[in-house]
Amino acid sequence: MDINSKKLILGIYDDPDFTYNATSKLMHTGFKVFDVYSPFAIHGLDRVMKVKRSKLSLAAFIFAMTGIASALTLMIYAGYIDWQINIGGKPSLHIPTYIPITFELGILFTAFGMVACFFIVNRMFWGKNADIMDIRVTDDRFVVAVEIIEGKTNVDELNKILIAHGAIEVRERIKEE
Amino acid sequence: MSYESPVRDLLVTGGKTYSDITVDITRPIENKPSKAWWIGFAISTVVLAVWIYATTYTMLVGIGAWGLNKTVGWAFDITNFVFWVGIGHAGTLISAVLLLFRQKWRMSINRSAEAMTIFAVICAASFIVSHMGRPWVAYWPIPLPNAFGSLWVNFNSPLVWDVFAISTYFSVSLVFWYVGLIPDIATVRDRATSAVRKFWYGFFAMGWTGSTRTWHRYEMISLILAGISTPLVLSVHSIVSMDFATSLVPGWHTTIFPPYFVAGAIFSGFGMVLTLLVIGREVLNQKHYITVEHLDAMCRVVMVTGTMVGVAYITEFFVAAYSGVEYEQYAFINRATGPYWWAYWTMMSCNLLAPQVFWLRWARTTPWFIFMMSIIVNIGMWFERFVIIVTSLHRDFIPSSWTMYTPTLTEISILIGSFGLFFFLYFLFCRYLPTINMAELKSIVLTPHAKELQEKYTNMLEKGPVKQGEKAEKGELTHGH
Repeated sequence: MDINSKKLILGIYDDPDFTYNATSKLMHTGFKVFDVYSPFAIHGLDRVMKVKRSKLSLAAFIFAMTGIASALTLMIYAGYIDWQINIGGKPSLHIPTYIPITFELGILFTAFGMVACFFIVNRMFWGKNADIMDIRVTDDRFVVAVEIIEGKTNVDELNKILIAHGAIEVRERIKEE
Repeated sequence: MSYESPVRDLLVTGGKTYSDITVDITRPIENKPSKAWWIGFAISTVVLAVWIYATTYTMLVGIGAWGLNKTVGWAFDITNFVFWVGIGHAGTLISAVLLLFRQKWRMSINRSAEAMTIFAVICAASFIVSHMGRPWVAYWPIPLPNAFGSLWVNFNSPLVWDVFAISTYFSVSLVFWYVGLIPDIATVRDRATSAVRKFWYGFFAMGWTGSTRTWHRYEMISLILAGISTPLVLSVHSIVSMDFATSLVPGWHTTIFPPYFVAGAIFSGFGMVLTLLVIGREVLNQKHYITVEHLDAMCRVVMVTGTMVGVAYITEFFVAAYSGVEYEQYAFINRATGPYWWAYWTMMSCNLLAPQVFWLRWARTTPWFIFMMSIIVNIGMWFERFVIIVTSLHRDFIPSSWTMYTPTLTEISILIGSFGLFFFLYFLFCRYLPTINMAELKSIVLTPHAKELQEKYTNMLEKGPVKQGEKAEKGELTHGH
């Protein structure tokens, strides 16, 4: 076994409620839940797994501010500082008419910046080979993956908990880093 | 998993399991296309060829190929542009606004509506480019340093705002659509039997594994994307309306244009969604997913927005009368009674009067009737734009320059052809991507265990109580954790 690889025990379920209960029980008994894989988001499971609240909303806010600042800078520079245009004697520095473009660029930067960050934190990119736990996980199966630390984890108890919560399959898997 | 109201009908009928959803939704992608698909695709390809021919001809000859004149400088081109942009509003509205309002019926229709949005905006953009007359200088409205032209663009002009609004709308909608597609593309990838499919779906699935950590972030960005798309969708058509509202032409120079255009856009967008889905649920065999209740909900939106648009038409008349401005008053009298009276009354009857039938439950739940109505809505909304643009322009400030506008064959071909472009893209979408968001739908059907319990209790109610000594069911239904 490679030093960087992890030994996992997978409990496979066919019901999100069972998956939720099993994960919750494992977390309370002190097992190291590596991750839970599901065909759709199970609400509240992230809280049970103590997943840290993502900072993507902060990223979104920063990108929004960047977009707004870029738009204003562009328009004030181009329309007022660099080359003023006299159209019907209207003022060149006219903030109210800058609002639409400022708004649009704010949205554009937020969407693209936030989604780019989402891909980066998940290490997702085009053409990435998916390391799937079970091929049915994008269809109708739910996988609770528990990390085994040699000599520390009580595998028998783990198996019991997984099965008692309705696992239809329990098996071992080595996850390469 | 989720709370289901006991008084409302189920959003997915037929007792579908997770696996049923996967199989049903991926069926059109995984099997040879049906005869209906080939016929539809062939017709749209032919119509697309008409569009390519007519657009190319326009670009070679110039917009002299159109029926425009000195007085009517905008006609079919901008009518079609606004028409298609309007249609492009339902998709993001359904996904974003209905997500924020937690309307779960959106889940069966948001994917196809978003696809429709993207294709409609492509059609709209094609009119912007072709109406420029010199499409090779289409980059001029983009603010580029002086070396590219003589000056910077005028940031006070709504036409420049429009460039930013439409391109932001298109790209943000595309991102929203793609992010929503990733889990479903992964589903198709994991079911793929050929290497080619495995490669391409795997390529675009970006290594999706369904990890809870990813889902956690995914839910967050979906919510933020919905949050920013909602004002975006409202801003886009507001800005389109300002192309008219900030001008001096009587009939255009109106402060109610932004909300009125937005209502109209939602109206026409839902009209087109209904046109597509009433057919789609039939051909793709998705009646359990897009139920009559979904159609009912959409018809209600059509009725409400149609009435809002109708109120706007009447308000415009009132404001013209009340303003005491002769030009304004004449513009509206001329709309209703002038040479283009037929366009005005088509608009009025299709948009204000016709949708009132949706007060009747029968009308909202009868697919063939809804389909007919959706076509009427599409026609009505096209005429709305035609009325606003052409009848306001054709009798302008000096009676000596009053004239009529008649479209040429080239213009009519571009209009019809744009439907070819739209449906060509839509048919490809139906063939290669899941038309319903499977991952979202799976979260609203009953869990296998809940379904078992439900069946058991239903049986008990029918057959009487369980006999003494029968083993109690292990584990209970867990709600609301």
